[in-house]
Amino acid sequence: MKKVLLSLALVASAQAFAADELHLYNWNNYLSDATAKRFEAYCKCKLVQDYYGDNEEMLAKLAAGAKGYDIVVPTGFAVEALVKQGKAQPLDKKQLTALGNIDPGYMNGFFDKGNVYSVPYSFTTTLLGYNETQLKKAGVLDKANSWALIFDPAVLGKIKGKVTVLDSQRELMSAALMYLGKPANTTNPADWNAARDVILKAKPYWAAFNNQSYIKELTVGNIYVAFGYSNDMFQAQQDAKKAKRPFTLNFSLQKEGNTLSLDNFVVLKDAPRKDLAYKFINFMLDGKNAADLTNEMGSGNPNKAAKPFVKPEIAKVAAIFPGASDVGRLQQLRDLTAKDRRELNKVWSQVKLK
Amino acid sequence: MTLQQRIGKWVLSWPPLVYMVLFFLVPTLIMVVAAFRYPGDYGGLAPMYSVEDGKVVWDLTLENFQRLTEDALYFDLFIKSAGYALATTLACILMAYPLAWLIARSPKRYRDLMLLLVILPFWSNFLIRIYAWMIILGPQSAFTRAVNWLVTGLGFEPIQLLFTPFAVIVGMVYVHLPFMVLPLYANLEKHDMALLDAAQDLGANAWQRFWRVTWPLSLPGVFAGSALVFIPALGMFAIPDILGGTDSIMIGNLIKQQILDTRDWPFGSVLSIMLTGGVLLIAALGAAVARGGRKRG
Amino acid sequence: MAKKNAWWLWAAAILTYLFLYLPLVIVVVFSFNDSRLNAEWVGFTLDWYRKLFHNEKMLTAAGNSLMIGVVSSLASTVLGTLAGIALHKYKLRFLPFLVLTPIAIPELLMGVSLVIFFVIVNQLLGILELGLITIILSHIAFCVGFVAIVVRARMQGMDESLVEAARDLGATPFQAFRLVTLPVIMPGIIAGALMAFTLSIDDFVITFFTAGVGAATLPLEIYSMIKIAVTPEVNAVSSLLMLLTLVLIVIASRVSPSALRANG
Repeated sequence: MKKVLLSLALVASAQAFAADELHLYNWNNYLSDATAKRFEAYCKCKLVQDYYGDNEEMLAKLAAGAKGYDIVVPTGFAVEALVKQGKAQPLDKKQLTALGNIDPGYMNGFFDKGNVYSVPYSFTTTLLGYNETQLKKAGVLDKANSWALIFDPAVLGKIKGKVTVLDSQRELMSAALMYLGKPANTTNPADWNAARDVILKAKPYWAAFNNQSYIKELTVGNIYVAFGYSNDMFQAQQDAKKAKRPFTLNFSLQKEGNTLSLDNFVVLKDAPRKDLAYKFINFMLDGKNAADLTNEMGSGNPNKAAKPFVKPEIAKVAAIFPGASDVGRLQQLRDLTAKDRRELNKVWSQVKLK
Repeated sequence: MTLQQRIGKWVLSWPPLVYMVLFFLVPTLIMVVAAFRYPGDYGGLAPMYSVEDGKVVWDLTLENFQRLTEDALYFDLFIKSAGYALATTLACILMAYPLAWLIARSPKRYRDLMLLLVILPFWSNFLIRIYAWMIILGPQSAFTRAVNWLVTGLGFEPIQLLFTPFAVIVGMVYVHLPFMVLPLYANLEKHDMALLDAAQDLGANAWQRFWRVTWPLSLPGVFAGSALVFIPALGMFAIPDILGGTDSIMIGNLIKQQILDTRDWPFGSVLSIMLTGGVLLIAALGAAVARGGRKRG
Repeated sequence: MAKKNAWWLWAAAILTYLFLYLPLVIVVVFSFNDSRLNAEWVGFTLDWYRKLFHNEKMLTAAGNSLMIGVVSSLASTVLGTLAGIALHKYKLRFLPFLVLTPIAIPELLMGVSLVIFFVIVNQLLGILELGLITIILSHIAFCVGFVAIVVRARMQGMDESLVEAARDLGATPFQAFRLVTLPVIMPGIIAGALMAFTLSIDDFVITFFTAGVGAATLPLEIYSMIKIAVTPEVNAVSSLLMLLTLVLIVIASRVSPSALRANG
């Protein structure tokens, strides 16, 4: 037992005193272990990651004075929040030698015109993942390309209690808004109320609001439809295949449109190791390194140079690489003002509590 | 008081006093003030005051409190959360009483072991225990299948256990049960068995002996345990998050959402103040009832 | 006294124990299961334990948890013992309120108010950024009350004349405390320390709010894993944690056999 304690202490102190460390505050499961190892070998430094579950958590922690991180990986609207809070460091483009690898379609986002602060890293779409076998049995598989699968009571009646949705006011409201043909970023209270009514009609058929465990519930077969992020669905699909579950999982974009979350590298103003931060971003801009994440975790990739390295069976999935016809239907969420956030939350509270 | 005694009193009471003022009272007061401020656009709080033409303008508001009155939802949620906490407390009493009684009546050499067995689950991890319940209550578990075999055998529709209020209460009872067993045991252990013998000699049956003698005497233990269960259960958010369904939201979930999701700290603070107020009110009521109970007993 | 307990009492008690242990059995059993999914039994393996000992992040988190648990239980035991004695000996106005309310207040509120407090202190003074230190400070704050209650309970059962006798024999107040009071209330102090350690090592809510860079504890690590499907590594680490705590407790109860009883 002493040995265990001693080794624990050693691990802890080794981390505390290593000289060259890059601190990355990242989404959980958003950098492949192989890439991380390769980077450590390349820069002869240690890559330390802390994880967050959503942008709000990351913003709250940074607002609360969490220090010591070099790079964070915020979604578009959160980049804007970091910039306005003065937490983001303007990038020295001269040091970013491979910035040209990024597809121009993903540059110049509404949240950071001219990419002064951010470099696109990866994206996910928010969509429906489903158990193909069970949906076929229920006779609703043809609805999987529409939000009707989680909002239309007539469809839901056949899969009652087998649906989970994200517990996120922005994402779920956006899905309902798009189902109604409204823009996801609307701040019109009438639209919000209409979306609320759609959700309230569908809610009795859902099993739970779930951010925590839908990957596992899908893989095990406890639920048939989950509203969640594309890379999670990819993971569920892979897990089910590996565990030889007696059904197939799949996921697809909805015809009414989906939200796209573009996650970006942002160097923090108080980053202790800006030199390592640039090294890391350049390393990740390399096509081969950028392709790892897509191959392993199924996230979308804004890096042109990565395409040749992406497995062909993944490259053809529209939910991961939206084709030209799909891109037009993808919307990025913008941050709301404090006042609008509160108004939206009032509507959302009615969704959650009624 | 002599000088020495005074020094003794200072040495004993000042270190904890200073610590708790710094890390409990001050944070609590800041939270109370936050309830009167505006949320910041990018999270946190808006400035408390601004200086215009050399004059200080305070940006404080009652709006955060008004929101509570705009919609009956919030009130209903408090009631519902109290309902969950109450159900949890009652279930804990029902389950803990026989166990605590049995431990208290067991030979001395076994008591420590039996108590240890009650606390032991607490040294694994809270989340992992709840997670294990997800597996047990999941639709494919042996337990759920056995329940549904029974239910369908009786001619009803199969039921779902996970993602229901039932699952939330199971989780909450599980997490809080030892807090009921320990105070109950501490109380029951002190009971004088001669009283029960006397009651029996006077012709009281088992039920009368329990209801007229043991129960009234054990009330302080029941109240202590109930406080230790009810209060934490009232503010719970992790269990409804993980085990609950679409209708199993508690006040804790709403507070967590304000702080982490909506970035509306002032409203989160208002809800917290209401919750604390509710807890203190219930505690005061409980204490009054307990005092009354003791007088009768 | 030795009345026979009714059969149904035994049945109810055994059912309650079953209720308490069923999830634990599942946790431990699945830590040996040869499948990534905690769904059905596939076969026996020690792989998860092997993997765990190579998972630096998880071990660091476990190390953090232990370190935080030990430091904050020690500190809160000192403060709580002082408070417990003071509560028993003197009629104080503020101390009872300050020490006992944190027990009565839902954890969530303490977490929120502490994080707001740390932010403000950090913005105003530039000290106390979120991290291990803030977690420890917060844990101490919520553990002090529990220790104080147990110690006070122990003091109430103590014979005051012992201290007076010591003083009459010429002992200084400090000597009287060290040689008479302290040994008598030791079981209460140990019980309080155990309780504080248990509370600290299992705390999720307050830690969730007050943690910062590189300060992941085991509960936080597990929470972030629940999202991406908990692997049996988590089962392995919680089984080991349970074992480790059990060993600590057994050692403690050897040192002071009455510690556990005082806990009741």
